[in-house]
Amino acid sequence: MVRFENVGMRYGAGPEVLRDVSFTLEPGSFTFLTGLSGAGKTTLLKLIYLGEPPSRGLVNLFGQDLATARRQDFPALRRRIGVVFQDFRLFRHLSAFDNVAMPLKLAGRREQQYAQDVEELLTWVGLGGRLDAKPATLSGGEQQRVAIARAVVARPDLLIADEPTGNVDAEIAARLIRLFGELNRLGTTVLIATHDRALIERTQAREMRLVDGRLVEMRLART
Amino acid sequence: MNDQGTAQRGNGLRVPRVKRGRGMGTILPRDDGAAPLDIVIAVMAFLAALALGASLIADRAALGWREGLAGRVTVQVLPPDSGPPGPELERQTRAAIEILSATPGIVHVARVSHEDALKLVEPWLGADALVADLPLPNLVDASIRPGARVDLAGLRARLKESAPSAVLDDHTHWIARLKALADVVIWSGYGILLLIAVATAAAVTFATRAGLEAHREIVGLLHQMGAHPGFIARAFERHYFFTALIAAAAGAGAAAILFLVVGGLELAGVEAVPFLPPIALKPAEALWFIAVPMASALIAWATARISVLAALRKIY
Repeated sequence: MVRFENVGMRYGAGPEVLRDVSFTLEPGSFTFLTGLSGAGKTTLLKLIYLGEPPSRGLVNLFGQDLATARRQDFPALRRRIGVVFQDFRLFRHLSAFDNVAMPLKLAGRREQQYAQDVEELLTWVGLGGRLDAKPATLSGGEQQRVAIARAVVARPDLLIADEPTGNVDAEIAARLIRLFGELNRLGTTVLIATHDRALIERTQAREMRLVDGRLVEMRLART
Repeated sequence: MNDQGTAQRGNGLRVPRVKRGRGMGTILPRDDGAAPLDIVIAVMAFLAALALGASLIADRAALGWREGLAGRVTVQVLPPDSGPPGPELERQTRAAIEILSATPGIVHVARVSHEDALKLVEPWLGADALVADLPLPNLVDASIRPGARVDLAGLRARLKESAPSAVLDDHTHWIARLKALADVVIWSGYGILLLIAVATAAAVTFATRAGLEAHREIVGLLHQMGAHPGFIARAFERHYFFTALIAAAAGAGAAAILFLVVGGLELAGVEAVPFLPPIALKPAEALWFIAVPMASALIAWATARISVLAALRKIY
């Protein structure tokens, strides 16, 4: 699903924020990415979701080497990935419903086909009464749930979430993790970057740890 | 469905029935900052319609001049340099009429009366008594049968023999000069249209770049979510297509009104500039004005598409 070999990343002429990172995410796996702030978690996620090209090394996504893949194939690769951004990155001029529906629209589906799915998903994350609300009128936690619903609505092959439970209470966090787990059981590969040790401890999942840009630890979390 | 604005789902959930997808028709937020572009395109379209109208009028005038003069010859029988025109002028005039009438291909020969000759010089010399005493040449107008080839060299030779003071004018020199003048006006009009098209494309390019910059976050997010470049470009294309269509329709409409007013004044007998062809546009000519907003919209559409796709190619 995802394979990194000796990947390095630097922004411009700055220092390397990722160094010689190598790992593989198997299809259907559930993995946590941990590390202190500034360790390179967000950069690593960016390389996976095609937000930035690596400075060096090999990145293989869905069996395609990105260095040799055709640029016109990138949109289709991106549509196979659901991303929960740390800063949510919602469309501010669109309603919660339209934000969540966007991946389905980009996949070419018509509103009549997806309207019910979108409504039910938003209801499931506790926003059934806020379908028409613009992001500016939603709280941080509500925006995060919209972002999560948007990331999972198209049942992506790979789900990447950057601190997805950072702004929600424990009950909603547990519910969201159950949602991720459900998706994972349906075949989606899940990678979650988090600081939340309790969340990791509660979940039977593998953990990858970044320290100063190096992947220094890979282990199974407590089962 | 019920009156409380809620709908019953099959799973028992009650969700509010709200209007969905209101923002999806426009992936980009409505842009209030486009007014300057509207004005620029409207002014461009106004100028383009003026240039187009001028070209159409020049083309029509040139055609009219050619049709009016082509197929005709005029014989001037000149009076003597000094002294009053005597019977010799009349004899040569009659001889010229006879020669013209006997020439194969010439179908109609008519002498221009003295009064009509005075009217011809009136725009240049006026109509006072002094002009009436001028020794004007006798004029004979003749028409050539359409498609017939008249031996003008032979005609000239016969006129020189029987009417030495007669000068044959087949108008080719005058027609050529008129055609050259009309061509200059027509091609100048096309040149102006081309310049306006380039300027419109440049204006839309700048506006598109500004729009991309203003919506950089949205464009970047759509790109990140796997939107095809064509999908993103269509949002911009649609916006600038309709902006240009509406603004250019206003500009071309204003130009059409101007032509209508000037044409109306002409019909009312007000001739702003003598000798110019009629400025009033015929309905078939006015239809060409529809091409201005359509061309503007197409230019805006193509320019926006090219600009957006070029910008997206620079994003990873």
